[in-house]
Amino acid sequence: MSDQDPANCCFRNWMNLQEEDLSELLQALNLDADHDKSGTNDDQLNQLTLKAIEHFEDYIKKRAHLGRESATTFFAPRWCTMLECSMMWIAGCRPSIYIRLLYALIGEEFENRIEEYIQGIQTGTLGDISTVQMNLINNLHIKTIREEDKMSMKLASLQEDMADDPISIIAKKSRTCHNEPPSAEIRKALDEHEKSMWNVMRDADELRLNTLKELLSILTPVQGVNFLAASKKLHLCLHGWTRERELQQHASMRPPPSDN
Amino acid sequence: MTGMCYGVNIGGETETATPVEPSSESARRRRMEIHQFRFVASDVAVAPPPATIENGRKRQKLEVLPSSSSSPPRISGKEIQNSEADEIKLNCRVKKRKVEEVATTSLSLVCDNAAEESDVHHRCGYLSSSSGVLPELVAEPPPKFGMTSVCGRRRDMEDAVAIHPSFCKEETHETPTSLHFFGVYDGHGCSHVAKKCKDRMHEIVKDEVEKGEVSWKDVMTKSFNRMDKEVTDWSSAVDGVSSSSCRCELRTPQCDAVGSTAVVAVVTPDKIIISNCGDSRAVLCRNGTAIPLSVDHKPDRPDELARIQEAGGRVIYWDGPRVLGVLAMSRAIGDNYLKPYVIPEPEVTVTDRTSEDECLIIATDGLWDVVSNDTACSVARMCLQSRKPPSPPRSPGNELTLGEAGESSDKACSDASILLTKLALARHSADNVSVVVIDLRKGPMGG
Repeated sequence: MSDQDPANCCFRNWMNLQEEDLSELLQALNLDADHDKSGTNDDQLNQLTLKAIEHFEDYIKKRAHLGRESATTFFAPRWCTMLECSMMWIAGCRPSIYIRLLYALIGEEFENRIEEYIQGIQTGTLGDISTVQMNLINNLHIKTIREEDKMSMKLASLQEDMADDPISIIAKKSRTCHNEPPSAEIRKALDEHEKSMWNVMRDADELRLNTLKELLSILTPVQGVNFLAASKKLHLCLHGWTRERELQQHASMRPPPSDN
Repeated sequence: MTGMCYGVNIGGETETATPVEPSSESARRRRMEIHQFRFVASDVAVAPPPATIENGRKRQKLEVLPSSSSSPPRISGKEIQNSEADEIKLNCRVKKRKVEEVATTSLSLVCDNAAEESDVHHRCGYLSSSSGVLPELVAEPPPKFGMTSVCGRRRDMEDAVAIHPSFCKEETHETPTSLHFFGVYDGHGCSHVAKKCKDRMHEIVKDEVEKGEVSWKDVMTKSFNRMDKEVTDWSSAVDGVSSSSCRCELRTPQCDAVGSTAVVAVVTPDKIIISNCGDSRAVLCRNGTAIPLSVDHKPDRPDELARIQEAGGRVIYWDGPRVLGVLAMSRAIGDNYLKPYVIPEPEVTVTDRTSEDECLIIATDGLWDVVSNDTACSVARMCLQSRKPPSPPRSPGNELTLGEAGESSDKACSDASILLTKLALARHSADNVSVVVIDLRKGPMGG
């Protein structure tokens, strides 16, 4: 894979940007913890949240632009690990995993400080999610799953289209399956199919972005920054871990050097 | 005597019915919870509640169950440390709380806004959280409540909750008394039976109450049977007509495989009537002790197993005990294809309210699968006790003041319900979680 590959560059830039954003988010959280009163730091936290969203928006725009040429690059990205590829939903993550992650974070923090929460002490962090917030998160969750399911149906149709007229019929009529450059007819069919994939990808990216935006609008600034930091850590860590793991697996699967 | 049965606490014990996975996380937690309970039981005076059970079968069951749970769990050294630490923490809290107990009074607040709001919430499908207090004409303060209902780690929402304070009047006394309705439904197969229960059950119960049935058992049994019949008639009537937004689109035969649990609490000034069908549960928190007012209908409950076999059905172990290897509960509303093995007949308990009653927790198995009765009870009572009741509004004519006071009067219950929901999420509940907490503490004026 060439480093010059624009789609690969786009991803690399995005990962680097996430690293930078993450260190800023963590720094801000440390500062916030030092403040006597929570809330004094809200403006700065809000700025960081907006910046992170903006970066995500930029990344999505670039993907949309590059994907016009070749959407498949993003559906089967060479820069992702096999595990990441296996867990992909329409060229990215499932939007509902934001809520799943949030529940995990709420749960972890809640269990650690349960005594305080029972006492009604307000910590302001993710374990402190209020009834109103929980209600909104649940509504967002259900709405997101509904949208996801609709898009999954679209993707399913696209997958089935591969076996339908015209692609399958052109294949049936083709004299040989090898060493034959695709005809103008099949090129047109595949291009059209890829265009449909591009459309589904843009819809999915939009749902990812909107879900994240809406979720952050429900959270308080400090909760939002905590959530963003955790989600970026998850993404970066998973990428790093699985890459190392797969390198090791690959090394152990390589046949031993032959004696001849 | 039934009080004594309850006294031995069948709380965590319903859980012993489920197979214990050795050394798993959930098993460890369960053990810890048993430990916590022991301390509660020895530290707090337990008053056996004067509960009346209107079902002979249950009595049998209550006597059988505790023995199965009496053997102490084996705990490794590390786990003992953990659970002891937990006990100590809780212990401190309870002692501290005893001093504060004096301050817990409930106030009669009237709040139309909150009530309306909660009602609207309930109608709009996947409601999540709401709270409210309804106006009351009689002197008795209406019960305060809070509720949370979330999809959680599932991708479909099949829980439904219906709360209708003052849903009907009982004319048996000189002055009519208001009855309050709380229903929790956990659907399976699809959500439409649970939704139907949410929309209709309280109306049916009201109708049956107004017919003047003598016993609560009759009222509730008739109501559950009518509800079941409505669900069956309705789904066969709309068969093929795509008027439903639910997953199964009401097509038979899928539609025949849809049902719901139902646990309904009718709260009167002096009684709590619990009617249960399935594995959702109502637990009374009385003076720090968890008293289950319903017993889950699991297919391997000895009396339920006998009933199913007598009807010609079988319980097959397929990912736990299931009726005909399909349904993991022995009673439900709906589930037409599993009749007569799965029946809609509720078990009804009538419990006299006492001054020691703190709260009633009604929840689906999304909570009970991961949180024991005792833990839920401790969390809810600590939460209620730590939130001071609000001072009464200065100008009762001022709607705004009333609204605000009404909301805050219920914040404690709301907080309790969301605390329990978060606890369920923290403990990796994989199901929808719905929790209703009803404050049963009576103020000095309330009697």
